[in-house]
Amino acid sequence: MPRQGQRLVVVGNGMAATRLVEELVAREAGLDVTVVGDEPGPSYNRILLSAVLEGTHPEAETVLQSEEFHADNGVSLLTGTRVAEVDRSVREVVLEDGRRLTYDRLVLATGSVPTLPPIRGLVTAEGRLHPKVHAFRSLADCRRLHASVPGARRAVVVGGGLLGLQVARALGVRGLEVDLVEGSSHVLSSQVGEKAGAVLARGLRRLGTEVYTHTRAVRMTDEGIRLDNGYTLPADLVVLAAGARPATAIAKRAGLFVRRGVVVDAQLRSITDDRVHALGDCAEPGGRTSGFVPPAWEQAAVLARVLAGEEARYDGSRVVARLRATGLDVAVMGDPEQAPGEVVEVANPIAGTYRKLVVRGGVIEAAVMVGDLTRVGLVTQLFDRRTVLAPDEPGRLLMTDAPAVAGPLPDDAEVCACAGVTAGRLRGCPDLATAVVRTRATTGCGGCTDVVEELVATPL
Amino acid sequence: MSTPTHCPYCSLQCGMRLSRRGRDTVVGTWDEFPVNEGAMCRKGWTSADLLRHRERLTTPLVRDPGTGELRAAGWDEALGIVADRIAAIQAEHGRDAVAVFGGGGLTNEKAYTIGKFARACLGTSMVDYNGRWCMSSAASAGVRAFGIDRGLPFPLADVEQTDVLLLVGSNLAETMPPAARHLDRLRERGGTVVVVDPRRTATAARADVHVQPVPGTDLALAQGLLHAVVAGGWVDQEYVDRRTVGFEAVRRSAMSWWPELTERVTGVAASQVRDLARLLGEAGRVVVLTARGAEQHAQGSDTVLAWINLALALGQCGRPYSGYGCLTGQGNGQGGREHGQKADQLPGYRSIEDPAARDHVAAVWGVEPDTLPGKGRSAYELLDALGTQGGARALLVLGSNIVVSAPNANQVTQRLDALDLLVVADVVMSETAARADVVLPVTQWAEETGTMTNLEGRVILRRKAVEPPEGVRSDLDVLAGLAERLGSPVALETDPEAVFAELARASAGGPADYAGLDYDRLTAEQGVFWPCPDTDHPGTERMFLDRFATPDGRARFHVVTHRGPAEQPCEEYPLHLTTGRVLAQYQSGAQTRRVRDLDDTGPFVELHPLVAGRIGVAHGEPVRVTTRRGTMQAPVRVVDTARPDTVFVPFHWVGANLLTNDALDPASRMPEFKVCAASVSALSPAPEGGDALPTIRPRSARPPARPDHGCGAPTHVRILDGGAPHA
Repeated sequence: MPRQGQRLVVVGNGMAATRLVEELVAREAGLDVTVVGDEPGPSYNRILLSAVLEGTHPEAETVLQSEEFHADNGVSLLTGTRVAEVDRSVREVVLEDGRRLTYDRLVLATGSVPTLPPIRGLVTAEGRLHPKVHAFRSLADCRRLHASVPGARRAVVVGGGLLGLQVARALGVRGLEVDLVEGSSHVLSSQVGEKAGAVLARGLRRLGTEVYTHTRAVRMTDEGIRLDNGYTLPADLVVLAAGARPATAIAKRAGLFVRRGVVVDAQLRSITDDRVHALGDCAEPGGRTSGFVPPAWEQAAVLARVLAGEEARYDGSRVVARLRATGLDVAVMGDPEQAPGEVVEVANPIAGTYRKLVVRGGVIEAAVMVGDLTRVGLVTQLFDRRTVLAPDEPGRLLMTDAPAVAGPLPDDAEVCACAGVTAGRLRGCPDLATAVVRTRATTGCGGCTDVVEELVATPL
Repeated sequence: MSTPTHCPYCSLQCGMRLSRRGRDTVVGTWDEFPVNEGAMCRKGWTSADLLRHRERLTTPLVRDPGTGELRAAGWDEALGIVADRIAAIQAEHGRDAVAVFGGGGLTNEKAYTIGKFARACLGTSMVDYNGRWCMSSAASAGVRAFGIDRGLPFPLADVEQTDVLLLVGSNLAETMPPAARHLDRLRERGGTVVVVDPRRTATAARADVHVQPVPGTDLALAQGLLHAVVAGGWVDQEYVDRRTVGFEAVRRSAMSWWPELTERVTGVAASQVRDLARLLGEAGRVVVLTARGAEQHAQGSDTVLAWINLALALGQCGRPYSGYGCLTGQGNGQGGREHGQKADQLPGYRSIEDPAARDHVAAVWGVEPDTLPGKGRSAYELLDALGTQGGARALLVLGSNIVVSAPNANQVTQRLDALDLLVVADVVMSETAARADVVLPVTQWAEETGTMTNLEGRVILRRKAVEPPEGVRSDLDVLAGLAERLGSPVALETDPEAVFAELARASAGGPADYAGLDYDRLTAEQGVFWPCPDTDHPGTERMFLDRFATPDGRARFHVVTHRGPAEQPCEEYPLHLTTGRVLAQYQSGAQTRRVRDLDDTGPFVELHPLVAGRIGVAHGEPVRVTTRRGTMQAPVRVVDTARPDTVFVPFHWVGANLLTNDALDPASRMPEFKVCAASVSALSPAPEGGDALPTIRPRSARPPARPDHGCGAPTHVRILDGGAPHA
């Protein structure tokens, strides 16, 4: 069982690691914690980077926890520090500079790394990215891309997933002409089906971004990027947004069992070594990796309790993906293409809206909303809480309410709530002054005065 | 000939004139009084109905040990019994075995005397009051952020001069209707009214923007708005640097609350979060007001701090026509928390743990500081411990109807029944009085003079207008009579004006300083705002203009973390339950349910059409609402003003608080009245004489011997002498 003063080393200083440290501090867990992060500077909110690129969120306001927070709470923080390997036989983390950190417990929060698509010319002979090519994962990536925007006119985004759409829109908002290249049949293909993808692509075109689906970028040239149909898209900037995979190199080298991510149990413990935990993008609890922040934070809350010696287990998360892209409204809950259940859908390509619920046993198991998020807050609640709905509810949730038709107030309608006066009583009064004396209508909040004036001396 | 006085109900304390017409007392307007300018709701208009009410108690009642029934008794006998029992219980079980429970509707003079009676006469630490369930979360947050708690640090009418008024969890159009006139005047000036409420209330309906979050997520919403305000560059950094402390950590904590995450937690669309942040950020002046909807949570004080953080970041507090305030609920909710009926306080809003404060108050009372007890239990904790090891065995209740107003009322009622002695001073046979061993009939509002401190911190004089009925005494007389019979080391004043003069001395130098006030001034100036430290001081209309009441004069930001309601919906209890008020009733309804011209509809259950369809009920049909603590039945009202995941029940009748959660806020000890998990099911109409009404066992049904309270199966017998909601 964990004890006071046990040495905990956290590899990674991203959003999952930071939340874990916050939770441990809040629980006063009493562990001797060291955090090792490879990026320089304090931890930041990665979700905000597309808004920073877009210019709607200041870069300085992405910091999640300052270095003082760690210092004030007795947490050692090593930033700009890479881990070379983990030697489990002696329970040591070996840093690239040769230093060694002994641990009683180890947490891997190494996140994920962008996938490089197979495009020739992407990497120069010196092994660096072509100067026009950008990844978009870290704050450093964001800064470099941000700085390149003023000198650029045309940009190509490779990859039509959530990140690709956000980057495309951010660059569009910054005034660039943007093309988006997606290899599959439609954008957002890992989340939604073709109909939703088509509505979304239409929305993007309306906003000035050309979308090329069923198309692969094959070669980086000086003019731009050549597609597999032979056409070349001229580009001053190319942004790679072709997905990410769990960063598991350290775990693999340490001999931990890794499938897509580091395989962990419900206590987020490696099934290979119960002194090693993993959470966030690099972890694979319950046979699934996530790639989203809320599950990582839920895992952090569970893991903090486990490390503090409490009973806790992680049983998976409901996932809600929300596109953060100006002018594009998209929410995806669960896995609408794979989740079993009955499908209720409403598509209106004319209005640019598409909504779909996948319902099983009355519970919304997955949902897509494109172009109309009027009920997104409610549907999210029903999805997250697994509320059991009546058979007609999914349909009613997707339809817009018909506008109410106003008619004359019935005699028994209460007009003045403060004094409790009905329309009928007011109709019987010859004028406002009499109505006030007789009924005290309008003498409270005064909100009904206009209606009372209309009603007095007017028979129904 | 009429007497200018004030309404008996809410914290607006509308000015009114009472005059005699034959045997009747008639309510008229007092147009010159500035707070309501002659406006009143139907509660005020009909308030005189209570003065000669047929259910009025006019003789003390004592429970006969043989029959278990209450019988009439003389004052000497009743007070003698109470004093003897108190003395015996204290002799056997110690001083803390006797507790006193006050109310936020009682005058300052009574609140002060209750505290003095408890500490100096009984020597018990066990004194608290129902205001703990009212605005204590805002009070706690105000003290932490600004160094002082005055609900509104400015006159209410100031809100007409702001640009954006943000009401969080306030339904003032129903709870204090004349106050809603300010909203309309603000809108006529071109200002914007925003209402945050899970229900589309009468107040939300007259707002420009209605934000409808999931119950229990106001803190997250405030964090999300702060995030968007920071992102938009709308932080008033010059103000933050000059007048506040602690922003950096709060700013970073808000960076975890991007609009889409806020949407997921609160159910408020990300686009609405961004739009509202822009509205607030681009406004010159913003007023943020919270009320019970934001405050009555197990995270109520942190929730208020989150809204204060937002107001501070926008640079609004301590500037004219701007800032943060709390809309206090009960008539003397403000004054009631300042003068010593609260477990941790001495008069003048002093801490009972501050040695200097103890010295000062002990000197005014003429006792040794060491004899004053320390901090006692908070309201719910005090009640929850009654009759248990270490808890009080006798309870004296003034101005509170605990059986209806306490959370988890089944539990509280069981605790009351476990007492050796329950004494209730009230005007009518409330549900709580009906369970008492001794009931003392006392004067009410227009039959006595006293001061109230309204929601603005304006101390006003509520004048006696009519003679009380034969046989009743004032609370001050009751306490003085008990003190005398108990051989108290200090005598208690019974003349309100003399009590007020003493209160003013006791408050001198404290945060709520009344030293410069007397009845003549209050009359001449139509009320005076505290602090008012001397007779030449004009009173303090607007606070914080130069400095906050902290040692360094700066306001404090506080990092707060959203944890959500103590109880989340689950498979068995899939809906949120929230509770609240209706226009025609006040608090536990002990007064208003008895007024002929106020609709006594009985409790009801509001459901959204989607939920009604899910359950299979139509408007008007009975439903059963169940939580982990209790169950009630009432007719359903199908309304599209509700959220489709939330059920609403008003709390003026027995019922709602059988359901509510007694999880407490760690700082304010406020129970979580405003959200818990519930299930609602259809109910076929009850058979004749059936159980379609929520009920509490009448105490008279119990056998005279100590019953075993642990296993009483609920019986469904209507209360005969109390409640009478459908009489």
